Amino acid sequence: MSPPTTRAMRARAAASSDRIPPDVLFDVLLCLPARDLCRLRAVCRSWCDLTAGDPLFVTAHAAHHPGPLFLAKFRDDKASIYVVDLSGSVVKRIPGAGGGPSHRLLCTRLNLACVATDWNRCSVLNPATGAVQVLPEILAEEHINRVNLSNPYTFFALGRVAATGEHKVLRMFNRLGFYNGGQQLFEVFTVSGGDGDARWRGRQGPGLFIDECSGTVIDGVVYFLTNKVYDGARCGIRPDYIVSFDLGKEEWRRDLRGPISSNVEHAKVVLYLRRDLSLADLKGSLVLADQRDQPFTMDIWFLSNFQNGLWVKEYHIRTESIISRLG
Amino acid sequence: MAAADSCDGISTSGGGWEKTVTLVSSDDARFEVREAAASLSQTVRRMIRAGGDGGIPLPKVDARTLSTVLEYCNKHAAVPAPAPESSSAEAAAVDLEWFDKELMHVDLATLCSLIRAADYLEVAGLLDLTCKTVADMIKSKTAEEIRQMFGIQNDFTPEEEEQLSRENAGVFE
Repeated sequence: MSPPTTRAMRARAAASSDRIPPDVLFDVLLCLPARDLCRLRAVCRSWCDLTAGDPLFVTAHAAHHPGPLFLAKFRDDKASIYVVDLSGSVVKRIPGAGGGPSHRLLCTRLNLACVATDWNRCSVLNPATGAVQVLPEILAEEHINRVNLSNPYTFFALGRVAATGEHKVLRMFNRLGFYNGGQQLFEVFTVSGGDGDARWRGRQGPGLFIDECSGTVIDGVVYFLTNKVYDGARCGIRPDYIVSFDLGKEEWRRDLRGPISSNVEHAKVVLYLRRDLSLADLKGSLVLADQRDQPFTMDIWFLSNFQNGLWVKEYHIRTESIISRLG
Repeated sequence: MAAADSCDGISTSGGGWEKTVTLVSSDDARFEVREAAASLSQTVRRMIRAGGDGGIPLPKVDARTLSTVLEYCNKHAAVPAPAPESSSAEAAAVDLEWFDKELMHVDLATLCSLIRAADYLEVAGLLDLTCKTVADMIKSKTAEEIRQMFGIQNDFTPEEEEQLSRENAGVFE
């Protein structure tokens, strides 16, 4: 049975043509690839509403065409975001969504995208509809007067909380830096779609200085390596120590030991340097890449179980000296 | 057996007996069909299970459309399942493809009726075939050609049209 929303939607579209009934149109347009749909939006308002805005259609279409689509920003058009398919063809261009030259498209595996700068500009984009929500620059109440908003330095991460389906953004202000006695402030924002009275909520830090550049989002959790200031293990912080922020509970999770200190004798751990390590999202899992010189190799460790801190080395790659370090 | 009332039997060419069902179109035409063919429709399959007498009523499908749907079902249900990759399997597939192509040589109104019927009767293969046929008709056409084809009014303001063409600029040369 079709849910009532289908009928309502189909009835809305009914005005357009008697030669192709709306329920038939729905089924037909599902067969077409995204690239053709974008062109067909120009036919009339009801076709445009159906293919670009109707969540029911968008969901059904994604199920029919499982091929992944990518978002990209190109150097010669920094104001736009492009939707690109696996063959590299541009499926759709979303003008104005790219922000500006300093805006970066953050890595997500979601139906929403996040575009942000290092200086507190962040917007969330729905590539299916082209809708852009600009997040407020103003601080969370808890952090008023603790950041100089005329010269902020920020990190953003967008994730989806599976339990509720909510999308949340983590914002971090990196004030002054470790050596200047600065502190890192963390805030969370729930993406609603509308502007409403949504605001940032201040949250506790993890108690350690983290490396914001290592921030990697997997399944609603943002993982970080610790800051390079702890390098050399003099402070007892292992170089592969990982802290993670759960966007659902909005709190930091318990310790996660990296694969190096879990698998190598303690005496040797100090030989590893924090800068040899980087985090990434690979095949939907958190991976830690360990890059070594002499010989030039890279080990890719997959986190297979957070609770047990179980890591599996899936790749051992011989690299060349010219390959620059990740992260 | 619960479904016995709507099931009769006919002799097949092989000499054996095959169970049949009677389908009744919206305009009261009765079609006697092999159950194997009728069961390509998930809707009919459910109704056979539920049982009933005097045939299975299909109030949303007229006789003309139903006969085409059943032509499809008879053909597709008749195809035996020989070992894949054998030459007879290949020949059967080619024959089926040719049959499908011929079946789709109808006007747009008929195609739309078939899509509706296939959707209601849940004949997945036919729904796919008919939708792809109409999609192919649309695919290579410009927005204006599609409006003419379906008799659709262009209800965009000039500003909106300008905006849409700007969004597609650089994407479709």
